Order: sequence, then structure tokens, then C-alpha cells
Amino acid sequence: MIEQNSDRGIRVSGLARSFGGVAAVRDVTFEAAPGRVTALVGPNGSGKTTLLLMLATLLAPDHGTIRIDGHDPMADPRPVRSLLGWMPDALGSWAALSVRMTLELTGRLYGIQADAASARAHELIELVDLVEFTERPTRVLSRGQKQRLSLARALVHDPSVLLLDEPASGLDPGARVALRELLRRLADEGRTILIASHILAELEEVADDAVFLQLGSTVGGERLTAAQSKPRNWRIRALDLTALTAALTSRGIEFAATADPAEALVALASEADAAALLARLVSAGVPVSAFAPSVGDLEQTFLDLNADGAR
Amino acid sequence: MKGFWRGLWLIASIELRQRVRGVAWYVLLGVFVVLLLIVTILLAITLNVTASAAGTSDAGAGIFSTIIYFVLLLGTLVAPAVSGNAINGDREAGTLATTQVTLVTTAQLVLGKFLAAWLTALAFLVVSIPFLIAAQVLGGVQGSTIGVSILVLAVELGVVAAVGVGLSGIVRRPLFSLVVTYLVVAALSVGTLIGFALGGVVVETRITTHSSYDDGTGTCITEDSTSMQPSFNRVWWILAANPYVVLADAVPTHYRGSDPDDLFGLIKLGVRSAQIPPETSQSYVDCPTAQVDSPQPTSRQIIDSTVPSWFVGLLLQLALAVAALLVATRLTRAPSRRLAEGSRIA
Repeated sequence: MIEQNSDRGIRVSGLARSFGGVAAVRDVTFEAAPGRVTALVGPNGSGKTTLLLMLATLLAPDHGTIRIDGHDPMADPRPVRSLLGWMPDALGSWAALSVRMTLELTGRLYGIQADAASARAHELIELVDLVEFTERPTRVLSRGQKQRLSLARALVHDPSVLLLDEPASGLDPGARVALRELLRRLADEGRTILIASHILAELEEVADDAVFLQLGSTVGGERLTAAQSKPRNWRIRALDLTALTAALTSRGIEFAATADPAEALVALASEADAAALLARLVSAGVPVSAFAPSVGDLEQTFLDLNADGAR
Repeated sequence: MKGFWRGLWLIASIELRQRVRGVAWYVLLGVFVVLLLIVTILLAITLNVTASAAGTSDAGAGIFSTIIYFVLLLGTLVAPAVSGNAINGDREAGTLATTQVTLVTTAQLVLGKFLAAWLTALAFLVVSIPFLIAAQVLGGVQGSTIGVSILVLAVELGVVAAVGVGLSGIVRRPLFSLVVTYLVVAALSVGTLIGFALGGVVVETRITTHSSYDDGTGTCITEDSTSMQPSFNRVWWILAANPYVVLADAVPTHYRGSDPDDLFGLIKLGVRSAQIPPETSQSYVDCPTAQVDSPQPTSRQIIDSTVPSWFVGLLLQLALAVAALLVATRLTRAPSRRLAEGSRIA
């Protein structure tokens, strides 16, 4: 289905772009491999959207190179466009056109014949669960429905590289699960998927790799390792909080209270430490009902990097 | 090449479905038809009366030319509205970028939008067809008038559509590009007229008038006086760029007696007369004994002795239209090096 060659995926090196003196992207270097979901993580204003606009062949970089499955979007955007699906952070849709027409016409803009475009539109409407809106104009869609239409639109020409900007925003929990499963499946088919999002818990479940952006630059190597090896907060929940706090105090372990009166937060350096502590608490008879990292890895790294940056 | 036209037409059809939909549009066309109906009936009555007095029946020519002018007026007023925010409006709505990431080229995008705007303006011509046929039935409309006037009208509407689409790709804010498009239309339609009138007044010519009159005793007295008169012959070319003048000047004139038989001819006569310099020495004779003055030239003589200017005006307008589309295409091209492309600075 998708040809195999070593150029596949996204390769970005030394990318920079500024807008009238304001540097939105300063120095971005990363690779996103085919068959994997790569998360693009960064705070507001870190340059995620500008980076995606450059990858999507809309914006020219000031410096640096981009290769999408081996093609250079600056030298020749056409082959890049034919294999790239882009889902913008906010979908502009042709308000007066129906969902079906929108997908059909988008397909035809990609050079798909009318019959095939029509068939593909119906297929995608099923896929993103908009069947009841098939003939409704897109202006009546809710935010979440528009997001699903936007995703369908990005998939019209069966792209091998997908760029998704905040795909889960506005989606209800059911749609989020469906999105996650869909992305997993698309990646397993050999596509390269790059997702920019703030909803880190969401990314955590689907991303294989992560690229961290801060102030327009990718955070690499040492800083990332350092941030990832910092102690993590673990959330311990017990049926009897007094027994828990007593057990922690007697072992000299510092803890913090949370908003939940049945929980304590403990900073632990590694998973091994966490396993050891849990074993000791259980053997000491503390009725532990939950023992888990308070936030996901991505989120923790993100927060640590931001704390670093702020310092 | 076939692919190029297919993509262009695809953009135009999206544009037509997207913009030209809804009741308001049909109401506008309906109002236009009612206006045409009223004008046609009134003209048919008045022109028929004068025509039968003159012993001919060619009221059709007058009605035909009036309808064409009506379509030009409405078309140039509506075309900016459908073209003046074609590109930057899409950019604001977020539909430009999603179109640009497809395999459609920037040239297809810009020309497709131009085509859609042009077709929209031509809709006014289409709904006026029954009235044009009615004028033809009333008689007196020459084939050359029909052919040339419709062709020039279509080109004029195309120029306005192209300027609108072009400006919408050059100017960032939709409202501003709309206003500028209207200003261009106003400059061509009204501005040339004002320039012509003011220019003529500024560049005055000294006229010497020899007046002869009877002093009441049968003696003929001649007095000389000088006065200043506007010399429109120095500024007539300003009118060449006026769409109404281009239309009038391009259509071959047919005469009823010695006078033009339609509105095109009358306007052409007016513009051509402006080319003739005022005589610096004029005689005004009111003596029975004095010799008779040389006869005034007829309309036909004036038109035949002066130069046509429509192709100059039309070429200027076409150059403006092409330049607007070319610049818009260059500025809309992606990947863009220009600022921001409608995206926030992220």
C-alpha cells in the first residue's frame, strides 16, 4: 500500500521562521518515523502551529530544511501536498456546503475523479461518524463535529503523512477514544503521524515518540533526559488516611496533601522506588486503594521543562 | 492543460455554490427584472410616440441601449461585492489554507475565483435577455449593435470582477479591499467624468466674439468682446477610460436621419464633440442685412471627423485587470515568505 523506502517520514533540521522580528520558530530539529505517532508538545507560543504551517507547505522557513517522505516542500510543494494530510487547529469550512459536498470537492481538489471522490466522501463520513449530517450545511456543525469533519478532510486523499493540530479539542470522550483508535490504526498501516496538542493525557495514550518545543526550539538530549529523570509525584489513595500518613511518617517519607482528603502525594525518583514503597505500605497493612503517577510522563516532562525555562 | 481548466472550474463552482446562494441573491435579481420592466415599458411608450412622429418605427434601438447600460450599472455595482473579498475573505474564514494544501495551483485558485465573480455579474445580462429580445422585436436594433455592445459589456464586467479578485489577494482586510474595489469602479465611472469637467474648466481658451446687431435704425453695429471658455478638447481623453464611454464609443452608430438612433450614439456624439476645439473667433449675427453664417456640422459629420478612443480605454482597463490578477497570484502563492498568512503568530 505505502511504498517502503528509507526517506519516509518527516525530517526537519535547523528550521527557523520569524514574523517581522518576532521569532516564532528558532531552531527546530527532529524526525518523525513512519508507522509511529509522534507527539509535538509545547506551551502556547512555543511555535507548534508555525512549525505545522511550514510542514504543511503553507509557510516558507527562513532557514533550515524540511523533508517529507524525502520531498522538499520549498523546492516542489506538489508531491508533498499529494501525500500530506493537514488538519488545522481551527477548521475553516465552506459554510454553505454540505458535509458530503465538502469532502467530495476536497477530494476533487486533490485530483480524484468525481465517482471516486463521492465514494470516498461517504466512506469518511462513516469513519468519523457524521452520517446524520451528510446533507447538512457545515455551518450547523458543533465544534466537535467540525473537528471530525476536519479530520475526514485531512484523510480524503489517503495521505501517508498526517499533521494534526489539536485534533481532540472539542471532542466528547467517546469521540476521543474513537480518534485514538483511528490514529493507532492509521499509524499501524505505516503512516507517519505528527500530533500537536495541549491535552497531554490524551497524547500519552497514543503517542509513541515525543518532540518537545520550547520558545521555538526543540528540546533535545540532555535537558530532556534530565527532565525525564526528575522525581515524579505519585498519588497514593488509602481507605484509612491516618494509617497511610503514619506509615509514611514512620519511614521518614515526605508527603503532601491533595484536594482529596483520602490522598497523599509522594515524590519518587523512579518506578522501582514506587514499587518498593507500595510493597512496604501493603505489608504494613495500609489499605491502599490506588497508587499511580499523579500526571503522565509527557505532562511531567512538559511541566519540568517549563519550570526550567521559567527559572 | 485539461487538468488546469478542470481545477479552475472546480474552484469557480465551489465559489458559486458558496457565495452565490441564498434568497437575497434572487431577490436582487428579481428587483432588477422589475426595474427593467418599468424602464422598458416607459421607454417603449415615449420612444414610440416620437418615432411614429418621425414616421419610423425603431424605438427598439433606444430601449436596447438603455437596457445594456442598466446591466452595466448593476453589474459594476454588484461585481465588487462578489469579488472584492474573494481571497482575503477565504483567508479570514480559514478556507484558503485548506484549499492551498490541495493540488490546486495558485493560478487556478485566483482565476477560478475571477471566473465565478464574472459569471455572477453576467447573470444580470442573462436575466435581461427577454427585454433585449423585446427591444429587438420593436425594431431598429442593428445586428452590429447587439454583438458589439454585449461583447464590450461582458468585458467591462470582467474587468471589474478581475480588479475585485486581484485586490482581495493584494489587500489583507476584506472590508478594505471591497471599498478599494468600489473606489476603482467609482474612479472609472464617475471620477473620469469629474476629471474631464474640472480639467476642461482649468484649461480655458480665450474666445473672441464678434457680435453684430441692429441698433434699431437699420445700421448694423459690430462689437468685439473676449471671454474664457472651457476647452474640453484638451482633456477629452480622460473620458476614454470610462466604461460607459468605452461601450458607447465601441458600438457602431446607426443614424435616424442625421442623428444617432440610440443612447450609445448620443453619448458617443457628446464625447466626440468634446474633441473639437472651440472656435477662438465666434460670430454672433443678429442683423437682417448680414451674410448667413456657415452651417453647424451634423452629428454624423462630428462622429466621422473625430477619433475613436474606446480601444485605448479598454486596453488600459484590461491592463489594470491583468496586473491585479498577476500580483494577487504572486502574493497568494504558498509556501509563502510573506508575513503571517492569516495565521496568528504562534
